[in-house]
Amino acid sequence: MEMIEVRDVQFRYDEEEGSSAVVLDGIHMTVRKGEFVALLGHNGCGKSTLAKHFNAMLLPLGGAVLVKDMNTTDERHKYDIRSTVGMVLQNPDNQLVSTIVEEDVAFGPENLGVEPAVIRTRVDEALKAVGMYDYRDHAAHKLSGGQKQRVAIAGVLAMQPECIVLDEPTAMLDPRGRREVMDTVCRLNREQGITIVLITHYMEEAVLADRVLVMDDGKVVREGTPRQVFSQVEQLRALELDVPQPTELCHVLQQEGITLPDGVLTIEECAEALLQQLEGYHGGH
Amino acid sequence: MLSDITIGQFFPGNSVLHRIDPRVKLALTFIYIVAVFIPRNWWGLGLAVAALIGAALLSRLPARLLLKGLKPVLPLIVLTSIINLFYVDGTVLWHWWIFRITWEGIATAAFIAIRILCLIAGTSLLTYTTSPTTLTDALERLLSPLRVIRVPVHEIAMMMTIALRFIPTLIEETDKIMSAQKARGADMESGGLMQRVRALIPVLIPLFISSFRRAYELATAMECRCYHGGEGRTRMKQLHMRSGDYVALLLMALLIAALFVLNTQFPKVI
Ligand SMILES: Nc1ncnc2c1ncn2[C@@H]1O[C@H](COP(=O)(O)OP(=O)(O)OP(=O)(O)O)[C@@H](O)[C@H]1O
Ligand SMILES: [Mg+2]
Repeated sequence: MEMIEVRDVQFRYDEEEGSSAVVLDGIHMTVRKGEFVALLGHNGCGKSTLAKHFNAMLLPLGGAVLVKDMNTTDERHKYDIRSTVGMVLQNPDNQLVSTIVEEDVAFGPENLGVEPAVIRTRVDEALKAVGMYDYRDHAAHKLSGGQKQRVAIAGVLAMQPECIVLDEPTAMLDPRGRREVMDTVCRLNREQGITIVLITHYMEEAVLADRVLVMDDGKVVREGTPRQVFSQVEQLRALELDVPQPTELCHVLQQEGITLPDGVLTIEECAEALLQQLEGYHGGH
Repeated sequence: MLSDITIGQFFPGNSVLHRIDPRVKLALTFIYIVAVFIPRNWWGLGLAVAALIGAALLSRLPARLLLKGLKPVLPLIVLTSIINLFYVDGTVLWHWWIFRITWEGIATAAFIAIRILCLIAGTSLLTYTTSPTTLTDALERLLSPLRVIRVPVHEIAMMMTIALRFIPTLIEETDKIMSAQKARGADMESGGLMQRVRALIPVLIPLFISSFRRAYELATAMECRCYHGGEGRTRMKQLHMRSGDYVALLLMALLIAALFVLNTQFPKVI
C-alpha cells in the first residue's frame, strides 16, 4: 500500500470544458511510506494544485488519487485523509488560527474530537518535536517567520499524520528561518519516519530529498534521485529550473574541458572533486 | 504609533486573576460594568475604584501597561467632561458670555470621567489576563443556551477568535503600507480633514485586498486541519469552577451590596 498514489489525474479550475486551461494533465506518481520527495517546477506549472489533491482539498476531474488506498473522492474518508496527510502552506501568518502558540497547535486535534487530556500530550509532544516547547504560551504573531512555520508544522503533527506536504514552506523566510524549517523537516522524516512531500524553488533543499519529481505544464517530466535529476543541467534549464550552485559550478568547468564527475550536489562533494582534479594536475607535472 | 494599541491583547501570566475561570471572569466583568453605574456619591465610586485597583494588583501586570491601555480613550473622556462641565446647573464659579462653570459641573465631570476609566480599565483587565481563545471559548459556553433559538454561537465565537488573532497582524500591515506610501511621497499628516481622509484611500485599498487573500488562505489552512464547524469539536483546555472562582463571585456580590448601602448612607453627588 502506497502512501499517496496519483493515477492519471486531470484537473482544471473551471469545470466547464474548454473555458479554462488544463492545470493537471495526466499526472502519474506515487509517494512511498517514509520517503522524502521533492516536487519541483517553474511558477504556475501546477505544483500547488497537485498538492491540494493529496489531502482532498481539490478532487480530480479525471483519474484518481488514493491515500493509503482511500479514494479522495469518497466523502466518508475526507477527515481521515486530511489527518493522515497534513499540509503546511507558504505564508506563516495566514495559517495560524489562534493567538497563543499551544492553542493553535491544539486546533487540529480539537477538530478531530480528540479527548482533552490526549490533546494536551499531543500538543506538548508536537511542540517538542519542532523545538518550540519553550514558546508554548507565547503570542504567535510575535514569533519570527521560521518559528511561526515550525508552529504550523507542530499544528499538523498534533493530528498525528503519516505524511506532511509542505508547499514552499521557506519561500517567505530568511536564510536562518529556512534552515530551521529544513532541519525540522529532515529530522521528522528520519526520526519519526514521517513521509515528506516538499514543494520548493530552492535546489539546495531539493538535494536533501530521497527522490525528486519535476513538473512542467501539468505533467511529471523527470523523476529520480537528486543526483540523477540534477546531472542533466541542460534539460533542467529548458524547464526553467536552476540546479544547485555546486552542480552549476562543476557543469561550467566541465564545459571548459576540465574532467569532473557528473551530478555533484553539495559543496563538500564539489570541493572534493576539485581537490582531486588539482592533485591530479600537480601529479601529472 | 499604531503599535501602541493594546486593546484586546493578552499578557500571559500565572496570577490569581489569570487563573480565574474565564466564564466567571467574563461574567464578573459584565457585572462590574453595570456596578460602576450604581454609586451616587464619592464613597461608592471610591469603593468601585478600590475594587478595581485591588484586582489590578492581583493581576501582577505592570501599572504602566494598564495606564497605557487607557490612553486611546482620553479624547472621549475629555469630550464628555467638557460637555458636563458647562451643562450642569448649580453654584456658579466662573462666568463668561454664555459659558458658566459650576461647582456641580466640575463634580459631575470628574465623576463621569472616573466611571468611564473604570469601565475601560475593567474590560482591559479581562482581556489582558485571559487568552483570546479561552475568552471566546467562555463566551461560546455562556451563550450556548441561545443555540436553541438558532443563534450561531460557535460561528460567532470562532469569528471573534480569528478577529483577535489578526488584529495585531493587520495593524502591523497598516503600518507597513503607510510607510511604503510615505516613502513614495504620500502626505498623511497635513491638510484638512477631507484631504487626510483621501490620503488614507491608498492605505485602505491594499489593506482590503490583502485581507481577502489572507481570509482565503486561512480558510484553506483551517480546512486542511479538518475544521468543519463546531459539531463534534473538543477543547484542549477544559473549564472547571474551583473554590477561588466562587470566592470571586462572592466578593463581587459583597461589592454590589456595599455600593447600594453607601448610596443610602451619604448625600447624592449626581
Ligand atoms: N484558485 C484558482 N482558480 C483558477 N486558476 C487557478 C487557481 N489557482 C491556480 N490557478 C492556475 O492554475 C495554474 C497552476 O497553479 P499552481 O498554483 O498550481 O502553480 P504552482 O506550480 O504552485 O506555482 P507557484 O510555483 O507559483 O506556486 C496557474 O496557471 C494558475 O493561474
Ligand atoms: Mg504554488
